[in-house]
Amino acid sequence: MTFRTRLLLVYTLAVVASVGMVEWLVTRATREAFERIESQRADALVAQFQREFDRRGREIVRAVKDIALSDAAINVAISADDSAYYNEASAMARAHGLGLLELVGDDGAIVSSAEWPVRFGYKEDWLTASSSWKPGVAFLRREELPDGFTLALAAVETVNAGGRQLYVAGGQQLDQGFLDTLVLPAGMRVLLYRNLEPQFAPHLLAGAADAAPDAAEFQSLIERVIRERRPRVTTLGSGAAAETVHAIPLTGMEDNLLAVLLIASSRRDLVELENSLGRNGAWVAAGAILTGILMAGWATARVTRPVRRLAESAGQVAAGNWDSTVEVTSRDEVGQLAQAFNRMTHELVEQRQRLLQTERVAAWRELARRLAHELKNPLFPLQITVENMQRARESHPQEFDEVFREGSRTLLAELANLKQIIARFSDFAKMPAPEMQPVNLNALAAETMKLFEAQFAQARVKARAELAPELPIVAADPEQIARALRNLVLNAIDAMPEGGTLTLRTMPQGSGARLEISDSGQGLSHEECERLFTPYYTTKTHGTGLGLAIVQSVVSDHHGRISVESQPGKGTTFRIDLGDR
Amino acid sequence: MPKRAHRNTGYVRGLKCQAVLRVAVLTLLVCTLSAATRPRYGGTLRVEIHASIETADPPQLGPGMPELAPAFSITRWEAGRRAAYGANENAPGGRPFLDEVQVELARPPRDQAIDLDVGKAEMIEIPPSEARRQPAGRRTWVSQPVRVLLLEFGARVDDPRAREALALAVDRTAIFNVLLQRQGEISGALLPQWLSGYAFVFNVASDAAKARELAAAIPAPARSFSIGVEDASLRPIAERIALNARDAGLAVSFAPQAGAADVRLLEVRIATADPARALAAAATMLGLAVPPSRLDSPSALYNAERDLLDGFRVVPLFHLADVYGAAARVKGGPGISPLGEWRLENVWLEGGRP
Repeated sequence: MTFRTRLLLVYTLAVVASVGMVEWLVTRATREAFERIESQRADALVAQFQREFDRRGREIVRAVKDIALSDAAINVAISADDSAYYNEASAMARAHGLGLLELVGDDGAIVSSAEWPVRFGYKEDWLTASSSWKPGVAFLRREELPDGFTLALAAVETVNAGGRQLYVAGGQQLDQGFLDTLVLPAGMRVLLYRNLEPQFAPHLLAGAADAAPDAAEFQSLIERVIRERRPRVTTLGSGAAAETVHAIPLTGMEDNLLAVLLIASSRRDLVELENSLGRNGAWVAAGAILTGILMAGWATARVTRPVRRLAESAGQVAAGNWDSTVEVTSRDEVGQLAQAFNRMTHELVEQRQRLLQTERVAAWRELARRLAHELKNPLFPLQITVENMQRARESHPQEFDEVFREGSRTLLAELANLKQIIARFSDFAKMPAPEMQPVNLNALAAETMKLFEAQFAQARVKARAELAPELPIVAADPEQIARALRNLVLNAIDAMPEGGTLTLRTMPQGSGARLEISDSGQGLSHEECERLFTPYYTTKTHGTGLGLAIVQSVVSDHHGRISVESQPGKGTTFRIDLGDR
Repeated sequence: MPKRAHRNTGYVRGLKCQAVLRVAVLTLLVCTLSAATRPRYGGTLRVEIHASIETADPPQLGPGMPELAPAFSITRWEAGRRAAYGANENAPGGRPFLDEVQVELARPPRDQAIDLDVGKAEMIEIPPSEARRQPAGRRTWVSQPVRVLLLEFGARVDDPRAREALALAVDRTAIFNVLLQRQGEISGALLPQWLSGYAFVFNVASDAAKARELAAAIPAPARSFSIGVEDASLRPIAERIALNARDAGLAVSFAPQAGAADVRLLEVRIATADPARALAAAATMLGLAVPPSRLDSPSALYNAERDLLDGFRVVPLFHLADVYGAAARVKGGPGISPLGEWRLENVWLEGGRP
């Protein structure tokens, strides 16, 4: 991953994180505001329910009190025959708008019951227990009806007449009809679970007419509120159908939990708002991210362009173009780096020129030394021969002819030697370009080995050829390659003055072929290996030091590679790779 | 047209003493009639009853309309709504005083009371619960207790312990005092006391503890049954029985159709003053084994009735009388016999033709 890509990625992540953080903060703030409003609405509804509850209670207390004060009630109280009034409660309840009414004698026996007329004579002991109710106070009560229990808002008054006491217990059922009278804000509903049975019973959950409750949905919440006897707020459902439900326990006069009021507030508005925020936020985020990416791309390009130029220039320097420089476009750290790079390359060029000059001088000195050495050897016999001829002319004229003949032969021989030396130098200087053609290196190697058979025998060298049978044909100049091989073979023979083993190997190497010539001679040191291909360098007492230089030149002209591997005392191996592109 | 004499001289045996006494009293009344109370001919007597008779033809049996003949003959019949009977000029006992008797069918008791008060009817039925609340001056005609109110168990309630538990659970006294307003008699017998003379022997006391014990001993499914009431006016009594049953550990629910109920609350009418015939008729009506035809002695009659009631397939509860209210302008009468049969040929209206 490039520096620019990494930088772009970091910028993009920063933008995405920032946008996400903003979106989260907005959503959270919105949710908190909604929760606050929803809580206020629920509180208002609870207060409304409490007011309605109190109002109903006052109405019931007033109605019961009116009944207790009525002549009819007094007649019942003072009557010695209760049986004549067993239907009285129904009429009284109708007249005073009560759903439930019982007239109970001072012994607790029902005289008349509006809600269950045939229950006359049965005892209502809770009325005679003074702790169960207070006059003038409405309270919740579990009331039994022919078809089961119901939850009632009730009040009790007494009639004292003729030395007898009559209890007047009246009330209203707290059921769906009661809930229907509540004015609910949009999105809210009120449900009432009447805790009339030991276990949760779905039919005891009443809702307003337009909101039939799904009892199972509320079961766990109701059971928990009944168990803990304290209000709870929870969210039921999911998505747009979710509701925040406030569950409030309602207790009777004896602190018995008789009902659970459920105020459910739909979260649809919140969900839609969140969805809207999400959609808009997604668009904004997408736009911001896109813009951020573009800006990040521009910024990273601006930041990385000088760095990239520096890298390209460094690459050019590494490739040998030491003159490469970087344009300095700023004065910041990157600009300073570019200036330092330019100074560095400038120094490198100067040092290289100085080194080249030094090497050139050294090469000329080496050439002069080699020339002096090579020329001095033939010149000395020439000088001796000429001096002998001069001495013979002056001291022994009669032998001068003989001396002259021999001297002439010697002079010609040494001159020929000088000519050969000059020719070698000329050949090295005038190495021709190779004429490429398909060459079978195995055949070439075999010919070379055959050529040197006599010399191998003379030098007590055991020659061995290990030629790969399926060696690829390579493109090469057979003359130059044969010349290089001969130089390497001669070099190997010279490296084994006491005899040894010379091995010539061929083998496939990639798409080309490899030649290996190994000897079992003295080997070379690391320094000798490094200087081995330098022209005019030799470790031998004779020779021009051009042999391996010529070999390297031939291999280089064939776009091949030559390497040497040697350890002192263990021989030397030269490797030539050809034809592997 | 000859002036009619009272015809209340055909009372059955067993009531002869009462009948003689009544005849004597009525004769005395006739002798002391002033001119204002002297019988008059003419007028239409408007009668309202609760029953709705849906038959295509006028009823030929049972109390009420069938007994109008031969003094009156049917002139109009609208099933389930009304009927009109005209005076028969050639009646064997002489022409009745009234020109016509109009019978309004299926009239609720409360509406009947109102109609009587406002003068839209001259004769109405009075339910037992209202019998004690009649305004002063209103004439009421009360028969002997001829309606036997009883529980009849269906075949599904085959455990006699369940039947006995319900029989013992019923608090007859509370029902009698409150719902029946002490009208009629509490009874555990089919035949009323006035007819058999031994009805008091049959147990009528409730025993909730024993009922609970019996109910607890039977399997749970057998403790639940449905009750049916054909006459809606008997519904409160059935509800009270269900309440009593619940106290005994029995679950009694109301069946939508009385005929399909496990136990029915119904009335059986005593149509004859002959106790043996009355018992046989009741047994036939209730699907019980009909007792032997010769029941000469009271003990034989008692044993026969005892056999019928063993097993609690039928549980008699009360014997009720027919009670009719008549407007003040209705004179003569009484308009019913001790068995509750209509005797309107003895009735005339004030303001009729002189």
